[in-house]
This record gives sequence, structure tokens and C-alpha cells, in this order.
Amino acid sequence: MGFVLKRVAQMVAVIIAATFLAFTAMSYLGDPLFNIVGFHASVDCDAVLAGEIEDVSGQGGTDVGDCEVVEAAREKYHLNDPLPVRYGRWVGDVVQGDLGVSFKNSMPVTTIIGNRIPKSIFLMVVAEIFALIIAVPAAIRAAYKANRVFDKSATVSSFGFISLPNFALGVILFYLFVVKWQIFPSRYEDDDLFSRLRSTVLPGLTLALPLAATYFRLLRTDLITTLQEDFVLMAKAKGLSDRWIMFRHVLRPSLFSLVTVFGLSTGGLIGGALVVEQIFVIPGLGRTFVEAVIRDDFPLVLGLVTIISSSFIAINFIVDLFYSVIDPRVSRET
Amino acid sequence: MTGPLVSIEDLHVSFLTEQGSVRAVDGVSFDLEPGKSIGIVGESGSGKSVTAKTLMNLLPSYAQVKGSMKFDGRDLREIARKKEKHFWGVEMTMIFQDPMTSLNPVKRIGEQIAESLRVHMNRSRSEAMTEAGDLLEQVGIPEPAKRLRQYPHELSGGLRQRVVIAIALACGPRLLIADEPTTALDVTVQKHILDLLDDLRKERGMSMILITHDLGVVKGRTDEIMVMYGGRTMEEAPTRALFECDGLHPYTEALNATIPKIDTPSHTRLVPIPGKPPEVIGRIEGCPFAPRCRYSTSECLTEMPPLVEQEQGHFCACHNPVGTPEGIKAREANQNTGHTPAGLDMKEFEAFAVHAETGEI
Repeated sequence: MGFVLKRVAQMVAVIIAATFLAFTAMSYLGDPLFNIVGFHASVDCDAVLAGEIEDVSGQGGTDVGDCEVVEAAREKYHLNDPLPVRYGRWVGDVVQGDLGVSFKNSMPVTTIIGNRIPKSIFLMVVAEIFALIIAVPAAIRAAYKANRVFDKSATVSSFGFISLPNFALGVILFYLFVVKWQIFPSRYEDDDLFSRLRSTVLPGLTLALPLAATYFRLLRTDLITTLQEDFVLMAKAKGLSDRWIMFRHVLRPSLFSLVTVFGLSTGGLIGGALVVEQIFVIPGLGRTFVEAVIRDDFPLVLGLVTIISSSFIAINFIVDLFYSVIDPRVSRET
Repeated sequence: MTGPLVSIEDLHVSFLTEQGSVRAVDGVSFDLEPGKSIGIVGESGSGKSVTAKTLMNLLPSYAQVKGSMKFDGRDLREIARKKEKHFWGVEMTMIFQDPMTSLNPVKRIGEQIAESLRVHMNRSRSEAMTEAGDLLEQVGIPEPAKRLRQYPHELSGGLRQRVVIAIALACGPRLLIADEPTTALDVTVQKHILDLLDDLRKERGMSMILITHDLGVVKGRTDEIMVMYGGRTMEEAPTRALFECDGLHPYTEALNATIPKIDTPSHTRLVPIPGKPPEVIGRIEGCPFAPRCRYSTSECLTEMPPLVEQEQGHFCACHNPVGTPEGIKAREANQNTGHTPAGLDMKEFEAFAVHAETGEI
């Protein structure tokens, strides 16, 4: 169990690093005060309160009273404290499950994220399932008859899907299936599971096709390599059928690259797929994130960074565990 | 059953490559009686492994096979064409050189033995596992129950080769082909594995083809020996007869000189064969060994000698066999000119000459 403890410690360290970086960047690049007191935040209130500047009319109509408000806000939000102390306070709140409230509408960040994250996760799951359903059988077929017609055409089309940008693919699918044939709804609906599925097919496919192309190429190459192993020759000498050999001997040791990239892309998809969410108007995490950054919505951005980085790490942790399932030679202790 | 278990006649195997057609096996014939064993000996590239893979139907699809191969009177190519499911792996099995790579690293030993039984013999999972344990015991692996649950990387090389043998024996084959079964193993383990193969063969009345580059491995073990070079049979004889004369064929003689002998002093140098084995692309004239042979005459370069019975049951394909008047004459002629007809300097053979005469240097 030392292994799990070590991994959890690593996880915590990475989350702290990610959030601290985000915290610092937000503090220096934006001004948290601006969201609370508006443009008054840009006035040199220290000087005003000290009486060094008397005529503040040239500074956007801020007077001493406004500066008192600013000062009160600074006190309230502990903005006079040094950065590490503020970060520490934020971490203390997070540990208690409090991610603060959004500057935009004073809704708790946990509520906003809790509202959006199921849509992103659902989209991610659908996309990954599509990608695997397409890629795995295709790779097996292509590797089994390498350099034949199917292999060659699948390889060429996979290059096509890898190089086609997401927005182009999304727009094409949207035009065909929503505008032209009207098979799928143009608005995102999730009243029940069925409508949610219906709304997720196209965005899922948009994400899945390039992923499937990548998975296909990785798995095909690994399968072809494994097929040249001595133990495959041995399996043939045992009189096992090609199908048996492929599924029971070759597939499992060929999964390494696929699983690695699967972990990375799944982790990436948790953070939302901005372009696809935009095209198909899905209120997922990706769009929320961009809006929050643009609006300097401090608590929301930090909350999102926390959630996304922890999911990313958690997924890749599972992937690492999976390596030792695939191959018993991979020791869990290393 | 009457007649040989395996009967190969005029087997030709070639591979189409960009440089042309490579003749890997070029007119090989042999018979193997039930319960008997034959050793096929030759350097890498001699065609011995290709012969085995042809028998096992393991050649890639671009290989071209000609000639007749019969197993217990049945045409092997017909069996392959009909895609018979329970022939290879049941009647005839093969073990490979490197036990480190011929076991699947991600499957437990037990599964790897049991799967043949499940596929071919219709055993249930638990029946197959019990039999797998018995097989491990037969190949001399202690604590079989524990081993069944282990993965190949948890076993030593010698144990792994025993597991490979257990897998090959699972369905009670009548013919076992062992392709360099001990080459990848420690010298001390080699003998154990070879003895084990011998014992199992005798116990089960199985026939065996033992392929090796090392004459020492087959010495005193197999019933017959076939020496191959450049895809052809150079010499074929009962093992005893072959070692009595240390080989009639110059190639056998040369191979023999490369083995360390127990009765020569330990500082005795081993004698390498000058030159490299040929890549046979296209048709070659003459004997493939002629360019490396100190007994060669100009005739050897133009005409392939036929495989003829020199003594009872002892076949040799050479114009000037070792120890015959022709052989002695040819070698002396080359000695006098200082080089062979193929242009090889006789000095290359000096170590050899001394070795052959006195057994030491």
C-alpha cells in the first residue's frame, strides 16, 4: 500500500502546484478587487486616505468615501495579506469543501461546477466510447492483414481525421446532421437520458473521430510489433486459431501506447472541449472556464483548476495502475 | 502403422525477395521412423529451421514450397489447405530456441499449457489445469501447483524451456521438432534439457527432429544425423557411423573441428571455418560449400555432387569425400598450388590441417 500512499502524495503535490500557479497568475495579471468595487480598485487609495492626494476628481470620481469602501473590501477579502497567506487561506477553505462564490452572480463555485461537470463528463464518456468502438476493431483488422486494402485505406483516412481541425469537423457534422437532414436537435437538451444522448452524439463524434484515428494508429503499430514476437509463432505451433491468438495473446500486450494516450486524452476532455461545446452550444466546463478567465472570476477559475487538475491526475493514476494489469512484469513498486 | 512417420521428398522452399528468389531449402529428402530421432545440423542459413517451419506450416505466405511432405502417409500440404484444426499442436509440435521470448509474458504458465488442451482436447478449464500440473511434473518442475500460477518472468531460463516442452507435449504429439532448444541456455542447463527431451521421447515413443548448429548436441543422442548446408543435404548417416569417421563430407569435418573435445588439452584452439555461409539467390552451379572447402576441385564449382550412399546407410554429397583417395588427392593438389580452385588461400586452413592430423595445436 506504500505505492498508493506515494501516488496520493504526488497527486496532492501536483494539485497544490497547479492551483498555486493559477492563484499567483490571477493575482498579478488581474485584480481581484476590481470585481468587487469596480474601477475604484485602480485608484491609489493609500495615498488618498493618507491625504497626500486631495483632489481625486481627476481619478474617475473616486473620493475619500469610495476609498473607504475599497479599504473595507480589502480588509474583508484579506487582500492586504501577502500572497502565500491568501493562498493558504484559500486552501483551508477548499479543504472544507468551500470554493467560494463566483464574482459574476454570487453563486457558489461548487454549485456552478457541479452543474456543468456532468455534461462534460457525459460528453467525454460518449466520445471515448465512440473512439474505442471505432479504433479497436479497425486496428485489429488492419494489423491482421497488414498492408492490404483495408489497412491502407484505414491508415489514409486516419491521417485525414488527425489533420482535420476539430472546428471544421464539428461544423461539417453540424451542417449535415442538424441543418440539412435534421436528424439531431440544434439545441442542447438534457431533460432525460434519451434527449441527453441525442444531444451528445454529434459533439461526441466530433471529438471521437480524431481520437479514434490516433488510437487506431497506435494500436495497429503495437499489434503488428507484437505479432512478430516469438510467442506468437509458438502459439501458431500450438495449433491455436488466428482469432484465439489475436484476442488472447496479442491484444493485451499491445495496449500500452493506447492506454497511455487514452489516459491523457480523457484527462484533457474533463476540462471540457471548448470548440465542440461552442459549436454545439453545450454548457460544459470548457466554456465556463473561458468565460471565467475573461471575466477575472477568481474563485471560479481556481475552482475549475482544482477540479480539472485533480481529475486529470486521478485518471492517469488509474492508467498507471492499469499497466500492471496489462503486463505483470510492470511492478507496482516502481 | 507401417512405413515412416515423416517422409520428405525433394523439398524446395524459396522466398521471393527484391533481389530475387532465395532458395532456403533446395531438394532435401529424409524419412523418420516412428519413435526415432534425427538431428539436423548446420550453420545459420543452412535451411534447417526453414525445413522445420515448413513441416509446421509456419512459413509466411510469400514462401514457395515444392516437393512432397508426408506425415503418417498423409500429405501435409493437403492438411494445411483444408485448414485442419487439430493437427499442428496435436500430432506435431515444435519448441523454439529462446524460452525467454517463446512464452507469452502476460499469461500465467498454467493458462499457456492448458489452452492447447482446451482448444484441441475439449477439456474444461479445471481439467486442463490439472493436466497442466501433471505435465509440469513430467518435465521435472518442482512445485507444479505454484508454478501454474506464475508468469514466465518469474522463472529461470531452464525452467522456462521445461515449460515450453510441457506445452509442446500437452496433446501427446507423435512428432516433436526442437529448433535449437538449448542454444539460449546456460551450458550446465543444456545437458539437463537435452536429457529430458531424450527421456520423454523414449517414454512416449515419440519421434523427434532436433535442430542444432552444434554437432556436439546430437552426438550420441539422435538415431540419425543430417548435415545441411546452403539448403542442401551434405551428409546423412546413422549417428554412430557419422562420428566413427568424423564425417565424410568436408563440411561435416569442418563442423566437427569447431566443437571442443573433452579428450584434448584445454588450451586447444577451436578451428573456425573460413568464409561465410552462402545466401543462395537464384540458381547456383556446383556445390554450395566449394568456396570454403579445402578439398574442392574445379569440378566442385560447376557441378553439384549427388547424394550417394558411400557406405551402408551413409550418404554424402561430395566429389572428394574426406578420407577417400579422391579427397586426399584433391587436398594435396590444392596444397601444392597454395589455394583452392575457388581462390581461397590454403593458409586459412593451416590451423585446421594441424588439428585434423594431431588433434591439437
